[in-house]
Amino acid sequence: MKTIILSLALISPLASAAQCALDSQYVQASYQVSKQVAGKAVAESQQFTLWRTPHQVAEQGIELVEVWQQLSNQQIRPIRYFQTQQRGIEYQPSEVQGQQNWSTKYQLVSDDFIAKMTLTDEQGDGCEKIQHYQLVQGDTTIELAWLVNQKLVSAMSIGKAQLTQTLTLGTVDFKKDPIQQQFALWDAYQTTDYADIGDNEGDPFLAKMINLGFIEHGASGFYDTNGKALGGGHSH
Amino acid sequence: MVIIMKKLNLISLAVVVALAGCSDNDKNTPDPVTPIIDPVPVPIESLTVENTIAVGSEQCINGGIETLTGDDANQNGELDADEITTTSLVCNDSATSLNAQQLASLTTNTWYKEAHAKLASSQDNIANIVKESGKAKNVILFVGDGMGISTVTAARILAGQLQGKMGEEHQLSFETLPFSGFAKTYNVDAQTPDSAGTMTAMASGVKTDVGVIGIDEAVIKGKCLSGKGHELVTSLELAEIAGKSTGLISTARITHATPAATYAKAANRNWEDVSDMPKSEAANCEDIASQLVNFEKNLEARFAGIDVDGLEVVMGGGRRHFLPKDARYNSADAVSLVEGDRTDGRDLTAEWQAQYPNGQYVMDQAGFDAIDVTNSKHIFGLFNESHMQYEADRGNDIAGEPSLSEMTAKALDVLDNNEKGFFLTVEAGRIDHAHHAGNAYNALNDTIELSKAVQVALDKTSIEDTLIIVTADHSHVFTIAGYPKRGNPILGKVVAVGETEPTLAADNMPYTTVGYTNGGGFRDLGEETDADAGYKFAPVTGRVDLTDVDTQSPGFHQEALVPLSSETHAGEDVGVYAIGPGAHLVTGTNEQSFIFHVMNYAADLAKKADAKVTN
Repeated sequence: MKTIILSLALISPLASAAQCALDSQYVQASYQVSKQVAGKAVAESQQFTLWRTPHQVAEQGIELVEVWQQLSNQQIRPIRYFQTQQRGIEYQPSEVQGQQNWSTKYQLVSDDFIAKMTLTDEQGDGCEKIQHYQLVQGDTTIELAWLVNQKLVSAMSIGKAQLTQTLTLGTVDFKKDPIQQQFALWDAYQTTDYADIGDNEGDPFLAKMINLGFIEHGASGFYDTNGKALGGGHSH
Repeated sequence: MVIIMKKLNLISLAVVVALAGCSDNDKNTPDPVTPIIDPVPVPIESLTVENTIAVGSEQCINGGIETLTGDDANQNGELDADEITTTSLVCNDSATSLNAQQLASLTTNTWYKEAHAKLASSQDNIANIVKESGKAKNVILFVGDGMGISTVTAARILAGQLQGKMGEEHQLSFETLPFSGFAKTYNVDAQTPDSAGTMTAMASGVKTDVGVIGIDEAVIKGKCLSGKGHELVTSLELAEIAGKSTGLISTARITHATPAATYAKAANRNWEDVSDMPKSEAANCEDIASQLVNFEKNLEARFAGIDVDGLEVVMGGGRRHFLPKDARYNSADAVSLVEGDRTDGRDLTAEWQAQYPNGQYVMDQAGFDAIDVTNSKHIFGLFNESHMQYEADRGNDIAGEPSLSEMTAKALDVLDNNEKGFFLTVEAGRIDHAHHAGNAYNALNDTIELSKAVQVALDKTSIEDTLIIVTADHSHVFTIAGYPKRGNPILGKVVAVGETEPTLAADNMPYTTVGYTNGGGFRDLGEETDADAGYKFAPVTGRVDLTDVDTQSPGFHQEALVPLSSETHAGEDVGVYAIGPGAHLVTGTNEQSFIFHVMNYAADLAKKADAKVTN
């Protein structure tokens, strides 16, 4: 397991579970996604940053940022920001019941999926309490190191005979103000409803969008709530 | 008709009387004299059959009589084929006139009779139409955004099938209007248009560039100052100046291109609020939402001497363009964490309320239902943060929102309080969006809802004083293809005439009747009633096996030939349908700008407005 560097300026490791969950509502966490193919000496890897507030989650890659907002009626609204162009595309909230699970967005792995796994070990207390889970599905072994009170993935791996994918937590920060400022920065981008793109081919940015699709599961979609691997790697 | 004529034969009933000899048993008893009837040869009848030859037959084009004769050798009373000995044919002379018999095949035919009856009503319509200028006290312009001819046809069939009919014979409400024609939709600079240019043409009588609202073609798109002095006057503005009540309804954002073209001037259709404008442009021009709220003030500033009372009815979506970018202003059904987009801190709903203290601002179904139509002079309804829901998806709206037909009814109840009449524009804005998403289900259901709204208007107004025009701003690349049998579900797979299973294409897979030339293509989202949900997936290229897919479900998105993330408009003409004073002018193929002139002629808008300005 890789070393986890936590910025614990605001969070005491001895905090109660409830207090820890409360204090970790605002998160900026960097992750590395690696893919190791058997026989290849060098693993492919890329990084993304998970940002979250109580009702927003963002996955920030090099160019693109995917944001999900949890609405008052529990619908999830996706927004995709293009950082270079400082533009955004807004999508309609998902309405099909059960199609999306907020915990998948919020903590990268859903509560439902964790419930299917077997707890193999548990260490630490308070905010540093970490649980180790395992699930074997056919020829695939999935392992999870779970910071249960912070609702953060510490590490996860999906191992097959020829391919191993890992998701590893790097630095974490819980400072509310810079996190809110980052969301405000993206929010200031000029946005367009996807429904309006078809009427705006004269806009070079939107015309380019005509030829782009939207991948609903980004790096966080390491696998879905059914444990189905999504191919690994960050789509950004 | 077959006539059998029996000739009277000479019957030889030879009766032979013979003296009988003694019987073998009683030779002594003399036999009485016994008449004996010989076996008589059966009489053979000679038969003649006359057949009437139908008009149009190969033997006699004008009909005639075929006479067959022969002996009834087998005595069955009929002249069988092998008994015919002579055939003669007498054809009728060439017809010098048509008689009932000759036309019977037509006049007894249901299609013929129904079309004939329509001819009579069409003649009545022409005879009764008010042709004189200025006789339309009220004008209602319905616009189905993106409602091309194929959309109308498919929606007609779906509407009929939803009523248990085969579908093809059905008529949407506006298809019953007595006058119709075509509009050419191209923009000044575009073969295939957008809504901004097309609605500007309809509203102002002047074609302009794509993406431009209410300004002529001299404007440089996105350059605010280039449009100064080239702003157009719209039919809605003329009606307002003339003293009529004015109203505007859309299921899209009320600041979207089509509704905006009735009241705003913008060098870029996307300048819906100040945050959408570059600072350099915002410094010199007013955003579209602000122009809506300041409609009365701006009009009075533009034309000297007028005293107008503003738009009486405004209902649609687009709340985000009227609220500050501040979560404290969020409405109950916000779909963003911060609903408002305005970066100038203005709350335009509050500004509107300050201008019209007795007006009612509503944002949900409950507020809409509570509107007092008798005493309310001004209504401002913003029912969604962005576009209103698709008609089939309204149930999923958080706070609830009215349908297009409900808004139309409410608007008319308010607008008809003015004895000088009213001018109302109604847009079914989401037909276009469903097509862009490649989802025929929602496009057709929103078209059917438009049909209901038109019916509401027909029911609430009089042909004597109200001109109603129904049209579209442009078409979409939506097609009705293949050879499905009559009554085949319009959203289903093609099943050929006489068949029960889907026809297979050359790739051995079934295909749907309706489809798109381009767009996102296939999605199978089941019961999802929001067409825009399809945008969360990349375009699908190539064919998909639809064998086990329910293509009639709300969430099915039709296959597309050219993969694009958003389906596009199409450049063909659109239909224009009309009833009421001046409706007879809607005929033939015209530039889209002609529609303004029909409305202006029918209601004398410019003339009446001019009288107000000069006085």
